[in-house]
Amino acid sequence: MATNVISPRRKPFLRPSVKEGLTGWLFASPWIFGFLLFTVGPMVYSLYTSFTDYNIIRPPQWAGLENYQELATDPLFFKSLQNTVWMVIVKTPLVMVAAIALAMLLNLNVPGGKFFRTIFYLPNVLSGIAAIFLWKWILSSNGLLNEALDWFGIDGPSWFVDPDWTKPGLVLMGMWWIGGNVLIYLAGLKNIPNELYDAAAIDGAVGWTKLRYVTLPLLSPTIFFEVVTSIIGAFQIFTTAYILVGNEANAVFGGPGMSMLFYVLYLYNRAFGRIGSGRYDMGYASALAWVLFLIILVITLLQLWLARRWVYYESGERG
Amino acid sequence: MKNTFRKFWGVFALLTIASMIIASCATPTPEIIRETVEVITTVEVEREVIQTVEVEVEVEVTPMPGPQVGPVLNPDVSGEVELWHFWASPVRRNAIQRVIGICEAKLPNINVTDVVKPFGDIWTANIAAVAAGSGMPDVIVSDRPTLPRDAEEGIYMSLQEWADRDNVTRDQYYDWAWDQTLFEGETYGIPQETDVRVLFYNKQHFIEAGLDPEAPPETWDQLEEYADALDIVSEDGTLTRVGFMPIWNAGPDFWFYNNDAYHVDDEGNFQLTSDNAVETVEWIKSWVDRYGGWQELQDFRGKFSSPPNDLFMGNGVSMFTDIFGYNSQLTFYGPRGDTNRDMVLDGEPRMEWGVALLPHDEDAEPGNWSGGFSFSIPTGADQAEAAWEFIKCAQSAEGQASWARDTQAQPTNIEAASDPGLQGLPQWRVVDDALATSFGGWFIPEYPNWSEQLNQRWEAVWTGDLEPAEMLAEAQAAIEAQLGQ
Repeated sequence: MATNVISPRRKPFLRPSVKEGLTGWLFASPWIFGFLLFTVGPMVYSLYTSFTDYNIIRPPQWAGLENYQELATDPLFFKSLQNTVWMVIVKTPLVMVAAIALAMLLNLNVPGGKFFRTIFYLPNVLSGIAAIFLWKWILSSNGLLNEALDWFGIDGPSWFVDPDWTKPGLVLMGMWWIGGNVLIYLAGLKNIPNELYDAAAIDGAVGWTKLRYVTLPLLSPTIFFEVVTSIIGAFQIFTTAYILVGNEANAVFGGPGMSMLFYVLYLYNRAFGRIGSGRYDMGYASALAWVLFLIILVITLLQLWLARRWVYYESGERG
Repeated sequence: MKNTFRKFWGVFALLTIASMIIASCATPTPEIIRETVEVITTVEVEREVIQTVEVEVEVEVTPMPGPQVGPVLNPDVSGEVELWHFWASPVRRNAIQRVIGICEAKLPNINVTDVVKPFGDIWTANIAAVAAGSGMPDVIVSDRPTLPRDAEEGIYMSLQEWADRDNVTRDQYYDWAWDQTLFEGETYGIPQETDVRVLFYNKQHFIEAGLDPEAPPETWDQLEEYADALDIVSEDGTLTRVGFMPIWNAGPDFWFYNNDAYHVDDEGNFQLTSDNAVETVEWIKSWVDRYGGWQELQDFRGKFSSPPNDLFMGNGVSMFTDIFGYNSQLTFYGPRGDTNRDMVLDGEPRMEWGVALLPHDEDAEPGNWSGGFSFSIPTGADQAEAAWEFIKCAQSAEGQASWARDTQAQPTNIEAASDPGLQGLPQWRVVDDALATSFGGWFIPEYPNWSEQLNQRWEAVWTGDLEPAEMLAEAQAAIEAQLGQ
């Protein structure tokens, strides 16, 4: 006679929910570890050094609020902030409008769409430095663009020489790199269900009204994401200005009329003693970095708050 | 359809290759200079052996240290030395590689790798590496005028102990060049070249304008007279050729020194507002106004770039200030010499140029300033001893003479400066004369960056937003305020 022995079921060492949670943390741990070590760590350290006199080689010396007090009376800090805000205000909407327009054209499913998508994205995979030199040549006084304008009887400006035209030149140059933005908008457009356009058409909607009442509201989460990241990017403009100002005597002050003295360029020049006393001044540069961080944080929080009024999700929620 | 696709990509690939070929033809291809140089190596005390060394070719030489005036090399030291420099131009890159070739032959156990870094970034990258404690080079080309600051900050090692041990002494170099490398009496870099400025002038332009090509201007009045003859303005009033512009390629400071206006007096006090200083700035401003103002000049300048399309090689300006080493660029690129492109001198449609001292005010002595570079060892470098051996060799009379023959940059090593190969160069006398009028500037420990108070205000003067006297007074006050802190 066979006897069935039913062994008592062993209680699992961890509850399934806890186990699942731990597994998740374990898988995420390399990223978390890297984030704490390489992002949070340096940020906390820079917060500390912003209250110190620190030349990068020797240990920081506590200086209290000295760096922040100097900021309040530093004319170059305000000049660099003014130049940077100009770029944020002018460049961000222009990039947004141009990228949405291009994305909508690419969304028309016309022949060659994939080819143009590749062409628009191509500048993003090229070396940034080489492209900046290329644009420096295109926008030189007798460069390609001014030659083209000359055909139409327009006397082109001295883009990177005239202080009034340096920033418009940078914006124009920046438009060349909108391929990445175009792809994100295109992905957003592809996600809008056709049924909504059909329904709108039945209700009598045509081109503009479809754009106004279907496309833009449903694209608003993408627009919101793009606006936030573009503003952050515009605040951090550095490489183009750094290369364009070259090695002239006024280069450290942002070239002609200090017109390209952007915030991060100023921060860099202060950190490495190119502006200021001549000493390496990582303490002051850290203070500058934290002020920029706070400015961006406040603007981003403001956008999150405003998003509730204009960002719509397909589920019907508001942002 | 498939065939069309293939054809399209075939044509596309063909066009890409063709455009690459055309592009490579359009850009002047740097010519690799391969010359045989003679290395005189003391093999035995009484006997000198001449070895031939070709750059980029390994040459086995077994040098032995012997009694000599210059530094004592130690060929037993071994190591892989990384050298950071910013000499990317074909002329200078080949020149440094030739020096490396010479030194590797003398120091058979040392292998030197040179790494080109962008000018300016080279020092920030080094500072970051020194701060991190790794990744710094073993030898770096350091900027002499800022070397004491970097020494004080702990960026570079003191070389004094080794210099004393190995007979690397102040009397082998120009005093002012050696002194620029000192911090608290110790040297932190062995001086390399100088960058004293001279006046280059286009002889074809002189002949076109009815000027004597062998009699360049010596004074400010003559400079203006010559410029009157050399300027070309087109019918619509736009500039076609500028006779001279004092602040293209040379800071205003050089003209202060040619008007007996020195920023700091013998007691170390700033004197930016002296009559001569104000007069100098007014004089420069008069040149800006002469050509229609700052914007007009900037527009004109924007049409030119770097050699071989710079202002002088591109016939945009007839008289131009630069370091004497610019000679080597002119020789290398051999630009066309005339605006009309039809003047031929000595059977060659190439530019002929002359070199002269910077013109000075009639009531003042000629003046000049020399900065330049040195070779230093960053703090924490792995191969410091091997680096030191290389530095000694590179900055010896032989190393510096080789560099100077290639680049025509005036050496700081006195024996190298008297090298027959250099003395045989036409116009080398001008460099010697320029150096005789030169000084090394001032290092103000309390405010090393004091010149920023001038540099950030120049443009306001040139655009007419600030009067010269007003600007100098502002700069003086700002410097004093900073020093007061």
